[in-house]
Parts: sequence; structure tokens; C-alpha cells
Amino acid sequence: MLKYGLMYGLLSARRRAREMLLPAITIATGAFLVVIVFGMQAGIKQQAASLGHAGEIGHAIVLISVTVLLVGVVEAAVATTRTIAHRTRELGVLGATGVRSRPVLVALLVEPVVTAFFGALGGAVLAAVVGAVLGAANAVSSSVSASGTVTGLVIAVAVSVVAAAITSVVPIWRAVNRPPIKSLSAS
Amino acid sequence: MTVTEPASEGVAPSGGPVVKVTDAWKLHKLGDEIVRALVNVSLEVHQGEFVCLMGPSGSGKTTLLNIIGGLDRPTKGTVEIVGRDTSRITESQFAALRHDTIGYIFQSYNLIPFLSAVENVELPLMFEPYDRKALRQRAVDLLNLVGLGHRLDHQPAKMSGGEQQRTAIARSLISNPALVLADEPTANLDHRTGEIVVETLKDLCSKLGVTVVASTHDPAVADQASRVARMKDGQIQAE
Repeated sequence: MLKYGLMYGLLSARRRAREMLLPAITIATGAFLVVIVFGMQAGIKQQAASLGHAGEIGHAIVLISVTVLLVGVVEAAVATTRTIAHRTRELGVLGATGVRSRPVLVALLVEPVVTAFFGALGGAVLAAVVGAVLGAANAVSSSVSASGTVTGLVIAVAVSVVAAAITSVVPIWRAVNRPPIKSLSAS
Repeated sequence: MTVTEPASEGVAPSGGPVVKVTDAWKLHKLGDEIVRALVNVSLEVHQGEFVCLMGPSGSGKTTLLNIIGGLDRPTKGTVEIVGRDTSRITESQFAALRHDTIGYIFQSYNLIPFLSAVENVELPLMFEPYDRKALRQRAVDLLNLVGLGHRLDHQPAKMSGGEQQRTAIARSLISNPALVLADEPTANLDHRTGEIVVETLKDLCSKLGVTVVASTHDPAVADQASRVARMKDGQIQAE
């Protein structure tokens, strides 16, 4: 059954790609910043060490990274809430026709997860390219490290996907288990 | 599974009624006031009947339909669907009963905008392990049955109101239900298109043996029914 929920979710994600664009762009922005911060982290730390403030600057970089990731998590949660609001009637129809809750939960989870994955991947890849170009052109005073960029890319994509899944489960489960009559009467 | 099969899923045992509502009440609390949406309603509907619930807005038609379909529960009284007392079953058991036995047609069609007509018809069974080719063939056959064989791949936005409602009728039949509930099926349609939709519903009863219960305030729809239950202030006043 869950397999069919997944198939329906992928179908709807493909057809609703346009609606997913805005949340994907906001998630991409967060991932872009994470990768840039991680890519330049080593260089900034090196410069900071020469100035004698390595500890404070290192903490500031971590704080910036965490803040950016938190923004990404909030963006994923907001995107899910918006998606559920748009699909309330669809949930009512599925409930009225007696479709079981679990495959519908899976179907609706696909969209935020796919949005987070492609949004984060797009933003991270763009940041990696920008970082590489800036590094090659010596446009930034601190170097851009390849290992930091890759670490940032992996973290950005993983955190975005996991955060999208975690923040989506509860609101989707509640929406799926709402009495169909309430979902149908929602505008 | 073909569209020419008579409705067989969940047919009432030994020719009993498909729907049996006994002394049903539905009370809503609105602030300090108790609103009586249904008052001591009893109704029996047998296989192949096309029964219209007729009455003005607020007369209790939709409440009665929702109670028959298990989207709402009566405050008091019992509802039996194909011989099964629904007051004794859980919400998930009622959902399963709805899935196998009841098709729904809504006033505002409620088609999924990003699915094509044929996918909308498949929707109630899309989450089940049915053979995809057989399911697609059945959906195509049902769309042919309601005269929409040429609109298979059209999305709802590219169909007229009448076409959308006929797609919704095809969707209501996909699991070969014994009972179809239609809430104001012609309310959003012009007179001619409404006639076509009512003809389609009548055909379901006569050709497939499906039982149809429809709510309406349109006398032209009621004229086509095999039986009319007139409702006012939550009560059936005459049949």
C-alpha cells in the first residue's frame, strides 16, 4: 500500500512542480549560505588565527551556520503547511472515498521531501560553483576549500531533507486523520 | 471487473434494503442553542432505486446524506448499509465500508486539479494493489459509459462543469459500489447539462443496478427519481 502512496506522491510532485518552485528557492537560499560558510570556514579560521581571535571568529562562524540551517528548517515547515492548506479538499475526497491514511501520509510526505532535496541540492551546487569560481579568481581574501564545500553540501542537503520530513509528519498526519467532512467543507 | 457488471460489492443480504435509516436524530450545539438538523428520520432504500431527497436549503438533505455515507454520525438512531449496522463500527471500518460499497458525487465535483480525467476516475483505487492496466481499462470504460471517452487526458480545468460532474460520476463507480450518494449533483450546472447528468444517474440504476440517493432542490431532478422524500426542518414530511 505504501508503495502506491509513494507512486501517487511522485506523480503529484511531478505535476505540481510549479507550486513547489517557491519553497524550493527558499530552501536553496539556505543551502547556498551553508555551503558558502562551510567552504570559506577554513580560510577564515586561518586568517583569524593570524589576527589572534581564532576562537571568537570560529564560534561566530558556527553560529551563522546554525542560524542559516534553522532558517532552512523553518522554510521547510512553512512550505509543508502551505502545501497542506492547498490540498485540503483533495484529502477530503480521499477520505470520503475511504482511502486509508498511511499511503496518503506517504503520498503527501513526498512533496516536501522532494522539494527540500532538489532545492537544497540546487542551492548547494550553485554555492559550490560560485565558491570554486571565486577561489580560482582569487576574488576573496580567505581561500575556499573543496573539502569544506563538500561537507557543507552534504550537511545542507541532509539537514534540509531530514528537517522537511520531520516537520511535515505531524501536520500531514493531523490533516490526513481530520474527518473528511471538515476537509471537504474547507475552502 | 467490467462496467457492465451489476453492482455486486456489498449487496444487502436476502434482498434487504441497501440503506436503512431508523429514527435518526442529528443535533448540533451552536453557542447556547441546540440546532436540530435531523429529527427522527427513517428511510429505506432498495437496490436499483433512484431516491431523491428534496427540500430547501437547511432542510437536512446533506446531513442525511452525510450520515448515510458515514461522513457524519447520528446523535441518536441507527443506519444500516447493506445490512450492516454502522453504529457498531469504528471510523476506519466505516472508511473501508465506504471504499467498497459507497460512491460519492459532490456538488462542486471535487476533482483533483493536477490529475487527468482518467486518473481522477482511478483515484479511489490508486492506493490499492490493483493491476494498473485493468484499473486503467475500467476507468476508460466508465468514462465511455458517461460519454467522455474523448476527454480521457483532459485535466479538470479544461473541461466544462457538466464534463467534470460526469467524470465525478465515473469516479464514484470505480469500485463497483452498491450505493452512490450524490449531493446536489446538478446545482452548479445549467438546465440542459443537469438533464444529462440526471439521465446518467438514472442509467446507473436501470443498467447497473446501482442504488442512488441524491439530494436536490430542483424539481426537474426529482421528477426523474423513482421515489422522492420531501424534507423540511430536518424531517421527512412526505414520500
